[in-house]
Amino acid sequence: MSVIKIAMIGSGAGGLITSSKLVAQLSEEIKQEKVSITIFDKKETQEFQPGYLEVAFRGTRPAKLKRPAENLVPRGVNVVHANCASLDIDNHQIITEKNQEKYDFDYVVVSTGCSPDYSQIPGLKEANLDFYTDADVSSRIFSTLETVKSGRIVVGIAGLPYKCPPSPNEAAFMADEYLRRHERRKNVDITFITPYTRIYTAEPINEVIEPLYSERNIESRTVFNTDSVDPAKKEITSLEGETLKYDYLFLTPPHKPAEFLKGTDFSDDEGWVKVDKKDLHITDHDYAFAIGDTNNIPTSKAGVEAHLEGIVVANNIATNISGSGSKHFFTGRTQCSMETGFHHATFVVGTYDRPVEKIKPSIMNYTEKKVMEEIYWASLHGHYEWLFKYHFKKDYFSEGTS
Amino acid sequence: MTTYNIDSKGTACPGPITDLIRAYRKASNGDIIILQATDPGVVPDAKAWCGMTKNELVNTKENGTEYEVTIKVTAKK
Ligand SMILES: Cc1cc2nc3c(=O)[nH]c(=O)nc-3n(C[C@H](O)[C@H](O)[C@H](O)COP(=O)(O)OP(=O)(O)OC[C@H]3O[C@@H](n4cnc5c(N)ncnc54)[C@H](O)[C@@H]3O)c2cc1C
Repeated sequence: MSVIKIAMIGSGAGGLITSSKLVAQLSEEIKQEKVSITIFDKKETQEFQPGYLEVAFRGTRPAKLKRPAENLVPRGVNVVHANCASLDIDNHQIITEKNQEKYDFDYVVVSTGCSPDYSQIPGLKEANLDFYTDADVSSRIFSTLETVKSGRIVVGIAGLPYKCPPSPNEAAFMADEYLRRHERRKNVDITFITPYTRIYTAEPINEVIEPLYSERNIESRTVFNTDSVDPAKKEITSLEGETLKYDYLFLTPPHKPAEFLKGTDFSDDEGWVKVDKKDLHITDHDYAFAIGDTNNIPTSKAGVEAHLEGIVVANNIATNISGSGSKHFFTGRTQCSMETGFHHATFVVGTYDRPVEKIKPSIMNYTEKKVMEEIYWASLHGHYEWLFKYHFKKDYFSEGTS
Repeated sequence: MTTYNIDSKGTACPGPITDLIRAYRKASNGDIIILQATDPGVVPDAKAWCGMTKNELVNTKENGTEYEVTIKVTAKK
């Protein structure tokens, strides 16, 4: 009997939990060499991305967020230290960037995330410091913040989509907190810009944070569609021709999927992979899946989604191979924390069927966020599934129906 | 003139308005954006968005659980 080959493209949050769960569910088959799992990613160090905000606005050392990728990949999984250059689903083949090597597969899971796309907004790259590219770039915000004594900081959403919907709002609250704690807030304006009609697009969360913006004296410009930035004049121009001056720019850039996905028949015109929103299979291919930030499902791009989608996909592949167990479906559950400063946080929580809830900021929520930070790496090994199951209850996955 | 047909059916808040803003970035003055959604919030949200950005709301249609909003792009510089 030939070996069943499972290929995982990307070893980030989604790729790691999927392979951990596959190893757990198919341990016998792997031991008997009936199944092999291979993960493709050239990255040698993984980073805890939610921590970029801590690096940018609290001065956490970038090294604290980094882990060698080789320590994270579960035992029993083969690693190819090369990025995927092309994926031919019909012919079951991956070609890697390094040496154009060919690998075939029976199942494939794409989990290649997304990254800032500065090409969409002229001038933004030269003018901006972001907390999305990596931990080291994020630390440049903190070095700048330490020198700010007066002027205007502009934070907010420069383009869509981007990962972690609350993160631009968190930047506003955390910059405010830093400057207040250092008694430098008086001469500094903080302005939040967004293309949406509200400070936070979902009304229940907007109701919670809008009063906080007034309380903290954070200005906001809604329906501001950033068109371009002039770094020499220190000026942002909107699609409608409005302008806004800044002294310091910490905007959220629009994001893009991995290059090899663009122009394929399984992605949309920007390269986001088209999947079934419940079982995550790539349209027309029942042995190919895309999870996490890289797919086009109508939820936020966040680690919790990548995790719960990975659990579903791993289970369904394992069930298919072993012939036992039931099929699982993703519920659309989202849960992004939003720090509102001074040890308080709220959560953006919803599913495909339940709209976002109104949750008041509290120290308890902030503590929950901190606990998540502590267990993050172990959770990618599947060590905390009991806690996830307990916490998410019927949203963890649904069973039996599509 | 280009017509952008945006299918946001099955996406809930903030889905449809996110899709509208993404299409708007690509469009030019005179272009039409037709946004289809199942989220009832799409109609008030798109109305508010047109009012605030000064783009033209051409019409809205409701067909059971489906909504269609037609917008003419007029506010770009
Ligand atoms: C500031 C910030 C705050 C955040 N806060 C939260 C939060 O509070 N809650 C939450 O749930 N989420 C949060 N997130 C989002 C979360 O980190 C991501 O959604 C999550 O990492 C997505 O997982 P992924 O597997 O899809 O992508 P990633 O974890 O980004 O992994 C993608 C992997 O694919 C690899 N790759 C890319 N291209 C290729 C290729 N061609 N071939 C092979 N490999 C490739 C990359 O090297 C990378 O290792 C935050 C993110 C940021 C930036």
